[in-house]
Amino acid sequence: MRASLFITCYNDTLFPETGRAVVALLERLGVALDFHPQQTCCGQMHANTGFHPEAISLAQRFVRLYQDAEAIVIPSSSCVAMIREQYAGLFEELGDTGLRQACAALLPRVFELSEFLIDKLGVDDVGAYFPHRVTYHASCHGLRALALGDRPGRLLAKVRGLDLVPLANLDRCCGFGGTFAVKNGEVSSAMLAEKLRDVTATGAEYCTALDNSCLMHLGGALHRQFAGMKTIHLAEILASTETLRAEARS
Amino acid sequence: MTSTVSSREPILNRVRAATPDGAPSAADAQRSWSALPRDYIRRGSLSAPSRLELMMERLREYDAETSECRLEELPAAIGAQLTRSGRRTLVAPEGLPQEWLVPGFKWKIDHGSGNGSLDIGEIERADGVLTACFCGVADSGTVVLHHTAAEGRRVLTLLPDWHLCILRASQVVQTLPEYFSRSHESASAPALVTWISGPSATADIEMTRIKGVHGPRFLNVILVRDEDAAAT
Amino acid sequence: MNAAAAPHPVLDPAHAPPFPVAALPVLRNPQLRKNVAHAIDVIQAKRARLVEEKTDWQALRSAAAAIRAHALENLGAYLELFEARCTAAGGQVHWASDAAEARQIVLDLLRQENAAEVIKIKSMTSAEIQLNPFLESAGIEVFETDLAEIILQLGEDEPSHIVVPALHVNRSQVREIFARRMGIENLSDNPQALTAAARNYLREKFLRIPTAIGGANFLIAETGSVAVVESEGNGRMCLTLPRTLITLAGIEKILPRYQDLEVMLQVLARSATGERMNPYTSLWTGVRAGDGPERFHVVLLDNGRSRILARKNERQTLRCIRCAACMNACPVYRQTGGHAYGSVYPGPIGAILTPQLMQMRHAQSLPYASSLCGACFEVCPVKINIPEVLIDLRAVVTDQERLRIKRLFDPMYLGLRVAALVFSRAWLFHAAQRMARIGLRPFTKKDGWIHALPSIGAEWTQTRDLRGLPKQTFHAWWASRGKGVARENR
Repeated sequence: MRASLFITCYNDTLFPETGRAVVALLERLGVALDFHPQQTCCGQMHANTGFHPEAISLAQRFVRLYQDAEAIVIPSSSCVAMIREQYAGLFEELGDTGLRQACAALLPRVFELSEFLIDKLGVDDVGAYFPHRVTYHASCHGLRALALGDRPGRLLAKVRGLDLVPLANLDRCCGFGGTFAVKNGEVSSAMLAEKLRDVTATGAEYCTALDNSCLMHLGGALHRQFAGMKTIHLAEILASTETLRAEARS
Repeated sequence: MTSTVSSREPILNRVRAATPDGAPSAADAQRSWSALPRDYIRRGSLSAPSRLELMMERLREYDAETSECRLEELPAAIGAQLTRSGRRTLVAPEGLPQEWLVPGFKWKIDHGSGNGSLDIGEIERADGVLTACFCGVADSGTVVLHHTAAEGRRVLTLLPDWHLCILRASQVVQTLPEYFSRSHESASAPALVTWISGPSATADIEMTRIKGVHGPRFLNVILVRDEDAAAT
Repeated sequence: MNAAAAPHPVLDPAHAPPFPVAALPVLRNPQLRKNVAHAIDVIQAKRARLVEEKTDWQALRSAAAAIRAHALENLGAYLELFEARCTAAGGQVHWASDAAEARQIVLDLLRQENAAEVIKIKSMTSAEIQLNPFLESAGIEVFETDLAEIILQLGEDEPSHIVVPALHVNRSQVREIFARRMGIENLSDNPQALTAAARNYLREKFLRIPTAIGGANFLIAETGSVAVVESEGNGRMCLTLPRTLITLAGIEKILPRYQDLEVMLQVLARSATGERMNPYTSLWTGVRAGDGPERFHVVLLDNGRSRILARKNERQTLRCIRCAACMNACPVYRQTGGHAYGSVYPGPIGAILTPQLMQMRHAQSLPYASSLCGACFEVCPVKINIPEVLIDLRAVVTDQERLRIKRLFDPMYLGLRVAALVFSRAWLFHAAQRMARIGLRPFTKKDGWIHALPSIGAEWTQTRDLRGLPKQTFHAWWASRGKGVARENR
């Protein structure tokens, strides 16, 4: 199995540890990985803020870079949602049939990380070890656009030592919403405050998710409030093994 | 009165220009209407007794009062409900069977339009109203009135505080689509319809459901086990 | 605390402040937020239970969406059929291009009736055209009859929800309004008592006032009938007792056939109030001698709808059946309530409908009043993809911005333009990452986190910290790995 990684703009810049965890995890599972050094951004921020021409050129760029990839793994459900839900419309707006066809051919090979593990590799036990109390936050894009369903739960259930605490109001948005958090900062903060009440009520040590964007939002507020709870991308939990932890300790 | 130049043509022109693929006439739209997906449940799967039980249960969930009787017991059942409710003066539409107007109570018969129709004040002052109905929908506990001679003018079932409605078992369907099929069989689409699901209610203040705002505050349904139902 | 003391909300999109500004008073009013959250929690829970029991819910949604889309696709033909059938049954059909024309038609009809007073059924369309203030300035006294609308009318407040318009007002506030305006002493704040007060207040008006104005939930083209869905019976009163009835309806309210109600009635009540069926649905066709009004008028209102119809993707906005499920599900509405939207149509549907009705000349902040979480689309009984339309409208707003000088001073606009350039070349992106790391260094505290940022960054750091940029990006790590560490599995 060969796959190409897409480490989106903010993960590359702000959360390189997530990308490294995906590499460790997938290579452990025997996947040969490529990483295209020219990659930058899927265009989601531009599309969702109304900058369509800008989003179109980024979408074009993505399709060109990845059209020959066997499979594309993206540890960010909102970027996957952008590619699946918006690219076709953007290319239609552009009036480029060639790109639309290339995109349609590409889509079946685009996977969010948990989809890749469960649907493509057919594994839910990745041999991970993470002896902590963890709660899972379902990002809106993972929950609704990708309909990830029980995939994250199945993966977490097989992690040794992990104590999964359910999160109340799982389907409620954390208030990030990309530029929404800045354009409507006060409303976003109010939504975040409500989400944090549910998150901290779990008493978990870690809050995990498949989107670092939500985690950046939640984690930023947890840090501000000295809440003691940490955020961690699911890939990092799945990458964690007893050997690795022992190595880290020694 | 209104402006002499009607906006009819400009609006229709704009609508037509906005929908270039639209059918030129409603008759032309018929085929695409018939092809619309309708994969929802049309016919219910409950047995007749379960269907009737569901109807009664749903009505009670709306705080409606319910009772049952056999066809020949109906006059007595009406009398019993009237006595129990303590209501003396009742209005009724002209199309009810004579035997439903049980003795011992004051009946005011409404003859619909023109002469013989009750005035609003009389209806308003009545203690209650007795009517038949067209159909009962078990899924939602809905009683449907088509306002025929046995169901009365709309105002009859609106102003009195108490509505006693006679529902025959053969009139009870399980699903709303079954009502529409039945309505379609009986005639062309009815001109007047009221779907009643429990007594009037509101939840406008803190979402607390309060029974009885402007319509009848009490709905009382007698289910009549008539012959047709036994056959289904 | 006191509804009467709160500033009167502006629900005219042409004059309302932008959403982020309008949201502030609500965000700082804990009582109001509590009222809103309580109400929508109750409806949401009821809706969820009833939708779950409906095993064919998704099939009903698909059918409802298809019926509404078909009606819109063939709207011209169906409007003409509705007009013909309604007229044949004794109704009179009027056409209004915009709000001003609709208001004038209604006023002329009332003058014809010598009406000094009028009773009203709750109608969002009448609120849209600001009918009440217009009629009152013409000397006609208007009595709202829906309990929530009475609360708002007497409390000089505005609707904050399209199904439960006074959900932001709690019982003690209602008690205060009723006691003051109805002159009732010793009124309790028990909802039962408050409802009884409204019943008494209105009963006499129903029996006396011979002219009514209402809206329509559905117009049936096949039969020329009109349907009104309600709970309290005030609708039935207004539809049955007066001599003259005026129905104001948007042109999009058309359903092709009577039978289509078998779908719409099943999805509407469940979505709107979490009931299997609302207490009363009334359908009538023109006039009938001896039963109901002698004169019946329908005013068909365009007011921007035909323009929405013309936009292929935005057309779905008009499928809306005003159930409000989207606002009940919306995490933004949950925080802000309805008034922040500056329109009688709040919540997600308002965020797409209002700016379009305003021809995108006003309310441009509304398409941004969403985190695009998709909860609205998930619950919509006619499958309006609200997030998709929001994004399309944002593109329209951005294209307007591109032509304005002030864009050059807007850090968000500039930031996104620069980002687009940066993302167009990997080397530019990598250079920008290095610059950002240097630029953010002065803001990064010893613990490795950023606690305060200037400009629009402050919108973020008002409640959240930001982790300082790590020393090594992922791509730099990957490149270094190729040099030093042996790559397994290769």
